[in-house]
Amino acid sequence: MITLIVRRLAQFPLILLAIYTLTVVLAWAIPGNPLEKPEGRQPPAEVKQAMLRQYNLDRFDRFYFSYLDSALGVRYVRESISGEAARRAASAKSSGLAPPQRYVFDLGPSLQYEDWRVNEIVGAALPVSITLGLCAVAIALVIGVFAGVIGAVKPNSFADLLTLAVALIGISLPSFVIGTTLVLVFPVWLGVGALGGWGQLNQLVLPAITLSLPFAAYIARLTRMGMLENLKADYIRTARAKGVGEASVLLKHALKNAFLPVLSYLGPACAMAMTGSFVVEKVFSVPGMGQHFVNGVLNKDLFLIMGVVLIFATMLVAFNLAVDVLYTWVDPRIES
Amino acid sequence: MVKLLIPILILALAIGITIVGDDSALPGKNGGADFVFINRGDVSTLDLQKMSWSQDLRIGRALFEGLVGLDIFSHEYNVKPGVASRWEISDDKRTYTFHLRADAKWSNGEPVKAGDFVYSWRRMLLPDTGCDYIAMAQIIEGAKEFTTWREQRLGEFGKPGGENDARALWAETEKKFAEMVLLTAVDDRTLRFTLARPTPYFLELLAFASFYPVYPAQVKQYEVLDDSSGRLNTKSGWTKGGVLISNGPYMLTGWRFKRDMTFEKNPHYWAKERLGFDRMLMLSVEDVNAQVLAFRSGTVHWLSDVAAPYRAEILNQKREFYREHQVEYDRMVAEGLDPAEIDRRLPSDPRNRIGAYSAFGTYFYSFNCQPKLKDGRDNPFVDKRVRRAFAMAVDKRRIVDQVRRLGERPVSVLVPPGSIAGYRSPDGLPYDPERARRELAAAGYPGGKGLPTIEILFTKDGGHDLIAQTIKKDWEEHLGVSVELAMKEIKVFRNDVRGQNYMVSRGSWFGDFGDPATFLDLSRKDDGNNDRKYASAEFEDLMNRSDNEQDPAKRFELLHQAEKLIMEEDMPILPMFQYVEMQMFDPHVLTGVSSHPRQIENIQDFDILGDGKGPDVPKMLPVRPAGRGNAKNAKRAKKDKRRLQKTNQSVVCGVSPISSPCLPSSPSRSSRSMVFAQARSPRTSP
Repeated sequence: MITLIVRRLAQFPLILLAIYTLTVVLAWAIPGNPLEKPEGRQPPAEVKQAMLRQYNLDRFDRFYFSYLDSALGVRYVRESISGEAARRAASAKSSGLAPPQRYVFDLGPSLQYEDWRVNEIVGAALPVSITLGLCAVAIALVIGVFAGVIGAVKPNSFADLLTLAVALIGISLPSFVIGTTLVLVFPVWLGVGALGGWGQLNQLVLPAITLSLPFAAYIARLTRMGMLENLKADYIRTARAKGVGEASVLLKHALKNAFLPVLSYLGPACAMAMTGSFVVEKVFSVPGMGQHFVNGVLNKDLFLIMGVVLIFATMLVAFNLAVDVLYTWVDPRIES
Repeated sequence: MVKLLIPILILALAIGITIVGDDSALPGKNGGADFVFINRGDVSTLDLQKMSWSQDLRIGRALFEGLVGLDIFSHEYNVKPGVASRWEISDDKRTYTFHLRADAKWSNGEPVKAGDFVYSWRRMLLPDTGCDYIAMAQIIEGAKEFTTWREQRLGEFGKPGGENDARALWAETEKKFAEMVLLTAVDDRTLRFTLARPTPYFLELLAFASFYPVYPAQVKQYEVLDDSSGRLNTKSGWTKGGVLISNGPYMLTGWRFKRDMTFEKNPHYWAKERLGFDRMLMLSVEDVNAQVLAFRSGTVHWLSDVAAPYRAEILNQKREFYREHQVEYDRMVAEGLDPAEIDRRLPSDPRNRIGAYSAFGTYFYSFNCQPKLKDGRDNPFVDKRVRRAFAMAVDKRRIVDQVRRLGERPVSVLVPPGSIAGYRSPDGLPYDPERARRELAAAGYPGGKGLPTIEILFTKDGGHDLIAQTIKKDWEEHLGVSVELAMKEIKVFRNDVRGQNYMVSRGSWFGDFGDPATFLDLSRKDDGNNDRKYASAEFEDLMNRSDNEQDPAKRFELLHQAEKLIMEEDMPILPMFQYVEMQMFDPHVLTGVSSHPRQIENIQDFDILGDGKGPDVPKMLPVRPAGRGNAKNAKRAKKDKRRLQKTNQSVVCGVSPISSPCLPSSPSRSSRSMVFAQARSPRTSP
């Protein structure tokens, strides 16, 4: 297990560097000047040039390396060692002001939201997305496993067909349809739950359910398949022959093995649920990460694009690693 | 089994931690704010010298104060004292001396000094800052040369023969600024500067937020000299809630990204007893429908811009409400009352909670004036006869009445007529398909023969497609040409327009200050916003002569001739209509909203009536005595009514209240000074 972790950790920077390089190249190719306002007064050419240079947007190589420099924390260390940071803090103190905020991993300024750094933007949006994503995955687990077990116990029964139908709807209906339907039914017709927004528990429920449905459907199918396969296995026949109760056979013996594919799916599912919820965020006005993916690209906000992509990539890789570790721990056969 | 439960337990724990850790819930309803508003989407920056969006400038004026302000409740937009209590202008109209009031303070209690202005204006002039309005400050003697000098030295930085020590270059820059630019703090309370040439509108420019001071001690903390380029970069961070130090009516107590902003009355502000609120809350609501919903549900008092797709219907309901009170309404219009005040005097009604006022902005189409198109083909629009023909073949009235349906006014000139006191607009070209065909034939394209397929470039959102379709139909029908529509994404559109990669393109412009030059500069040869690449020696000559003209009346006459030239002869820009701005508020509750066609809204002038805070007196433009302007308005209203009855349309109200009947429609009104408007520059068209 240790070697697995070490090997995966060693791959980690390489994966991130590859993703970073690919994203910079693609984002650089987006047409337009990110500092130019779409309409209205334009500053003189020399001012525009100065602004481009300030953000290293006039040269690809300079941008590529300076971004790495600050995002990896190299700049932070350099400024700390050279005493530059301490000098600033002292001069701030002498005039009775708070010293400027510093970040170890500085993801740069946002070009669209000039007064904010990408760290602050991500810092505001990430907790929201994590909460929403984790809740959605939890709901999906409960619904999915439950439906999968029912389907496997009585294959092709009415209950099985019903869960199959729900799963099919969950996978094939886009979340803006599910989301708006839920909004229509609950807050508008029944007066339960909130229309949108963030900060209260009742504002969390509907978006979490909407986000969870495709995952729930997938988990249900995974569980059902695994359960069906395992229920036919010899060890289940042995357990039954020994006179083990049916509930114990299902939950303790069959589900334990049937859950493994679900477990491996949870890694990417968590990352997907936390960052890929743009539509759900839009429908329920949730201030999460998804909007920054889309807006960043639309505005050619290079720093924001790089920031959210790197965060997402890190999360994806980390979750996959965590799941792999859990996986080998739960089922020691896997590693070999 | 236990092993299996572990991942689930981790998940549950994580959920618990994130929910507890999220601090996003508001403390109580509206955090105890007296006034809650939505300020057109989101604020982009609070750095005064970097601002350019109208919603940013609006917050800038609430947080900071300049040497002077504008009295937006005067028809002439008079200049009123701000940080400066009095000032002198020399006889040659070039040297200005300002005396700062002793009780002008920063929100930390420190006095506002003349040096703070010098520092802030220097920031404006440094190419490092990236100020969109740098040209305004370059009117000061030596300022343009200073910017050019610094830019040149920065260009040479690090190269052989150039400076390569950022600190040395900065020290030299500070010295150069003091030498070159005629701007000095004579003492802590006296500021003196000299202009390169007398500029009649410079005093009003000083009311523009880019000229307001930032707190130097604070901003300096965030300035970094970049060793690789020699530039002085300002890092973000100082404009945050609880950090930002300002000298204006309110101070910033909180700013949560894309959520809200909170303000409190500045306890050190010299005129704090005039303010209407102790605490204000600005909500960030991006969805245009949710904005209207927030107003209607009573969550906000004021919505600065209505952009919901059904706003024409909201306006229709207001017209219906006016019709129910026709007699009273007509009487008050005839009296010359402010439209906002008329609304307040009418009975309270949910339909009457929208204000729609003519704005200082024009929607137009641009003709590419280059001889060749980007793909190498000959450009037919290089011939001004072709441009004139296409201009006269557009039925603007139909666009306004049937496509826009917002009661906007079709225009044939670029400067919104009647918005600048003392300025006489030319007539422009009429809608005349017959004459258009003759012009086209004279240019060598009889019946449109010989012309390539005309391409109209526009962006997809905002209803530009409908306007383009209407114009396409007009041109095909009247001129016999074939027209293609090219709808592009905004960034690509921007690139194409900047690079003259188009034939005809949509465009718009909002004035920054109350002088025709704010619109006419667009057509100057070297102007950065001349997307048409129009160049005319005659036009340049007229504009240059107006720059050097001392007599305001003669100067306006020159500008009139210049506008006549581009609007009747050369036609690089085909004006369509004058924008209308819409905002939602209950006139019985909120006062201080301005209906003036310059459309500056100052939050610091707002007040909730009857709440015991602030003066609690309705604010309005003074009543205009009955005169030519009103008679003309009444006539126009009557004409509108007849036309509507004839065409049997219900979309425009019979008395056209939406085009602000009591606002000047004729420039004949006398005025003490020229009037100025806020910048609304970079903005997407409604």
